[in-house]
Amino acid sequence: MNVLVLSGYGINCENETLHAFEVVGFEGKIVHINDLIQNPKQLNNYQVFAIPGGFSYGDDTGSGNAMAKKILTNLYDQLIDFSLKDKLIIGICNGCQILINLGLVPSLNKKDPEVAMIENKSGSYECRWVDVKVNNNKSPWLKNISILNLPVAHQEGQFMIPINLLKSIKANNLIGLQYINNHKKLAKGQFPFNPNGSKDDIAALTNQNGNVLAMMPHPERAFYHYHVPNWQNNTSKKFGDGYKIFMNAKKFFA
Amino acid sequence: MTNTIQILSIEKTGKESSLQKEHNNKSIKIIDGYFFSRNLDDQKFTKISKLISNDVSQTILTKKNVNKVLSSYCNFNWVVEIKFLPGVTDNIATTVKEIIKDNLKSSFKSFELGSTKIILIKGRKEDITKISKNEANPLIQTIKIYPFKQYLNNFKKNQFKIEKVKLPKKKYIKKEINLDISDYNLSLIGKLGIEENDKSRRGTLGLDLESLKTIRNYFSTIKRKPTDVEIETLAQTWSEHCKHKIFSAKIDDIQEGIFKKYIKGATEKIIQLRKDNFCVSLFTDNAGGIEFNKDWIICHKVETHNTPSALDPFGGAITGIVGVNRDCLGFGKGAKPIANTYAYYLADPNKKYQLYRQKNKDPMLPANFIAKGIISGVRVGGNCSGIPTPQGNVYFDDRFAGKPLVFCGTVGIIPKKIKGKLSHKKKANPGDIILMAGGRVGKDGIHGATFSSEELDPNSPVSAVQIGDPITQKKMSDVIIRELRDENLYSSITDNGAGGLSSSIGEMAKESGGFIVNLEKVPLKYNGLYPWEIWVSESQERMTLAVPPANVKKVIKRFNARGVEATIIGKFIKKQKAIVKYNKTEILNLDMEFLHEGYPKLNLKTSFPKIKKEKKKIIKKSSLIDKLHKLLSSPNIVSKEFIATQYDHEVQATSIIKPLQGEGRVFGSATAIKPIFDDEKSIALSQAAYPQYAETNPYDMAGCSIDTAYKNLIVSGANSKKIAILDNFCWCSSDEPDRLYQLKEAAKACYDYAVAYQTPFISGKDSMFNDFKGFDKTGKSVKISIPPTLLISSIGVVDKISHLTKITPDDGDILLVLGNTRNELQDSVYSKIIGYEKSKNPVVNSKDALHTYRNFEKANKLGIINSAIGIDLGGIGIAVTKMAIASKKGLTIDLKLKNKISVDQFLFSETPSRILVSMKKNKLANFKKIFKGSDYTIIGKCTGSDVVEFKDNKKIIRSKISDFAKSYKQNIKGL
Repeated sequence: MNVLVLSGYGINCENETLHAFEVVGFEGKIVHINDLIQNPKQLNNYQVFAIPGGFSYGDDTGSGNAMAKKILTNLYDQLIDFSLKDKLIIGICNGCQILINLGLVPSLNKKDPEVAMIENKSGSYECRWVDVKVNNNKSPWLKNISILNLPVAHQEGQFMIPINLLKSIKANNLIGLQYINNHKKLAKGQFPFNPNGSKDDIAALTNQNGNVLAMMPHPERAFYHYHVPNWQNNTSKKFGDGYKIFMNAKKFFA
Repeated sequence: MTNTIQILSIEKTGKESSLQKEHNNKSIKIIDGYFFSRNLDDQKFTKISKLISNDVSQTILTKKNVNKVLSSYCNFNWVVEIKFLPGVTDNIATTVKEIIKDNLKSSFKSFELGSTKIILIKGRKEDITKISKNEANPLIQTIKIYPFKQYLNNFKKNQFKIEKVKLPKKKYIKKEINLDISDYNLSLIGKLGIEENDKSRRGTLGLDLESLKTIRNYFSTIKRKPTDVEIETLAQTWSEHCKHKIFSAKIDDIQEGIFKKYIKGATEKIIQLRKDNFCVSLFTDNAGGIEFNKDWIICHKVETHNTPSALDPFGGAITGIVGVNRDCLGFGKGAKPIANTYAYYLADPNKKYQLYRQKNKDPMLPANFIAKGIISGVRVGGNCSGIPTPQGNVYFDDRFAGKPLVFCGTVGIIPKKIKGKLSHKKKANPGDIILMAGGRVGKDGIHGATFSSEELDPNSPVSAVQIGDPITQKKMSDVIIRELRDENLYSSITDNGAGGLSSSIGEMAKESGGFIVNLEKVPLKYNGLYPWEIWVSESQERMTLAVPPANVKKVIKRFNARGVEATIIGKFIKKQKAIVKYNKTEILNLDMEFLHEGYPKLNLKTSFPKIKKEKKKIIKKSSLIDKLHKLLSSPNIVSKEFIATQYDHEVQATSIIKPLQGEGRVFGSATAIKPIFDDEKSIALSQAAYPQYAETNPYDMAGCSIDTAYKNLIVSGANSKKIAILDNFCWCSSDEPDRLYQLKEAAKACYDYAVAYQTPFISGKDSMFNDFKGFDKTGKSVKISIPPTLLISSIGVVDKISHLTKITPDDGDILLVLGNTRNELQDSVYSKIIGYEKSKNPVVNSKDALHTYRNFEKANKLGIINSAIGIDLGGIGIAVTKMAIASKKGLTIDLKLKNKISVDQFLFSETPSRILVSMKKNKLANFKKIFKGSDYTIIGKCTGSDVVEFKDNKKIIRSKISDFAKSYKQNIKGL
């Protein structure tokens, strides 16, 4: 099992993302986007393609846009090909924004981005822990998970989806994660439970196969128990909730 | 104007929400604009538009659709257009260029491109003026206001102007300067700069008459006139910023100066006293380093960026943080930045100070603009770089109205050995190539080092402002840390900060002997810079490397493969000479010895200052609960959660003790990160400064700073044997004997307390002239000096996860105050908010404090302590309420006091060295054994109810925790 973790141009969560994959049993490598463009064939050696969080191109022209355009220009076909195989793709935070800008999720009409990531309703950067519930249980990334406690850290985390598309996203069950409140009910847009004002409390989307997951929260930052706020009150477990996502990737190939 | 075009994209919803909130106007809209120096045919226009916008969320404005699209929002009547001034770093434009070049490849030839921000509003002209003032800074941006219709017409006719950097045609590459002139004219050179051919002056050199005379003597000995480049270089190298002349000067009877005697002296004494030296690198490198574990070293550096932040708060702060990141990159062979710290000392953002640098003109920026700009500058710098920013604080005082203090710090980590060699040692060897990597050089930041050493006055140069580009730096940093360093491909590295190449190369050349630089090789942002400008420019995001010739090709190739520029600009030599050439003409040739040590040493005298007594304020009659609410909601105690949530403190997945603590999210005074996945050790960080105590007694003020910074780490669970500290002195009027007296006293305290606690100084920095000289709104001249401020930053190693403490007690816990509480309300938050009482200033008794700390450490390791919080501003009263807010658990506090102090003195005195702890009842016996003979008081217990109650003989008073939380979480007015 091999994971390729993308880096370069301001992506910055590659080390901890790779670490999470390694702990659950993957072998992996951080590959700079320019090296991948030089030699796209190396994708054949990997089963998982991960785009970690960060600030690619400083969010200039919109979060994820510039990196998505670089991929679009140089690697698009190879990535589409990857997504159509029995392989997994994950985009976390900035990675999510990049996948959305590439149109790899929800990928219902297979052309052009259909969804946009826009600025948080609060107008400010939000670094905080949230609870999300799993909506789409058929995605290999999200199997057998109900609720996750994870941190978000973003300025542009609001999913903007045209109404008709939202209908088909729901009809196809492509909403991966949704923000919930302290009573485990949907946050209904209420801050801070829904940190960015995303419609329908959407925190993650998948493609139709479920093998491509674009999520705003950071599972790799909730990997060990001591990552979780106030962990001193509960030291019985070794791992935090983020671990489950990476374990699911392992189980998919096991 | 025919060969230009602009692309405007408007966000369908969002983007302006914060602006709308701030101006209480729903009819505000923002447009992103990009303008090109060439025309685009329709096909290219569409293609490029698609590349730089998202048609789900944005609409591209065209001549055809513009009326319809804009009128769908509302009837706008004003437009403000904000562009960067020519020559100012435009990060967005750089990205857009890259996207276009990558996608269109050869089909699109060279072009100029700029970004612009357009704000539309329906409202009055005053509204748009206000918005433009809030959203733009005239120092770096042009701001144009148009009536909406006029703007629309201009857009349809494609009428707009592209401005380019206007530089004089190069007239000379060097200029000989005659120093055989009168003292008056000589001092003019120092104060106003070298005279140009048109009689204009280049801007301050910060050289005093004596220094200029020393330079004159040197050149008369070598029988030639100095060049302008030589004088500029000496001004940079000899600046207070680079040489710390005041700290190294003879002061009264202290021959060796206060740095050697008190700061370095303390560390040397501690190393001599202790057998277990954990210091690795002290004072000489860009940061100070200590041992983390058997394989890793951690380093820490804190810098200030005060003057630039006063002029351009956002730009000043972002360059502050990315600048100190480079200090870590330049530590040893290059440490990876793993945490940022911040501390801001600001004027009240809710007040209008109305200060002017010149009579009735050149106003200071408003206090809230400065505060917001600084907070966002560090946010963008830290977040974009992928470095967590867990640790910081903000303090408000009117005396920062003329100059804000912006402290930015970074912690770095580096393996002890790289390819078998000690990583903290580096040496540029003769023959090594001088390689400049990262950003290009422009006019930005010229004269930064010389002017930050001067008071802010009308002649402060405006070109002293730089804008950081964290992404360029991140790209460069990744190559260095991940690829070059661990293969040992270079022999030395340092960052380009103050003084630019002149400083970085000058410093590194000490390792080899000297250097020869070919300045024409330096890549420029635009043509037309004078050689002296290239040499001293402070353009950001650059590192200088010494690379053995055999590795140069490989190193450059690695940089280029990651989209980073790297250029050979000279070589290091054995001869002790500093030589700079421009196209073969020698423009600088100095002896290294003179360059670095030739400056005249100061001889300073101090005198005892008149003590400015706290103004008597009548005590406001109010209940205890009322007082608590007042204190909790006061700006210096109130929660800084709004900063913590906008600074990414989770990136790198190392955050283990977070800035917001407990379920009730209390803003903590210490935080911890766990930097290595397979080692359970973590790094605890804290900081403290007490400018409010300084005028009463600078010695005690410094004592309190060290004590609190140290205590906070002990409380967090750090190993007392592995705590190091950093000193950042921000002083005022350091040419006045009474300010120097305060400085000497504070430095003396640094020695005494550091040695007492055996916590060494590993790095430090000073900024000596934080004064504002200008005018008030009536035109009266004013001088505002900051109160002397000593920020002590502490860094320590926590050996085990189980040693890390929490601030939340559990039901049934008993509460104790460790340490003695004295009547020390003078200069306290209480005395400022509630009123003055006859009282003393807070004083540290290091012997008692050490008892408390050593015992606490022991008790904590044995698992006796359940929760703990350092008692700081607002005293026990605030510590207790913070515990309750954090845990959402009720507490009962017993006010039947044994010693002779009043309830208010007990609850609000700011006596240092105290800790509030909670523990299970059954641990009390063990606790008492450990604490036998040291001071502690049992003050109550945790009830788990929803109230905090205070009991004395007569009555019980209580308040709901949720009400306290409301006061504590109030917004700071003006922010």
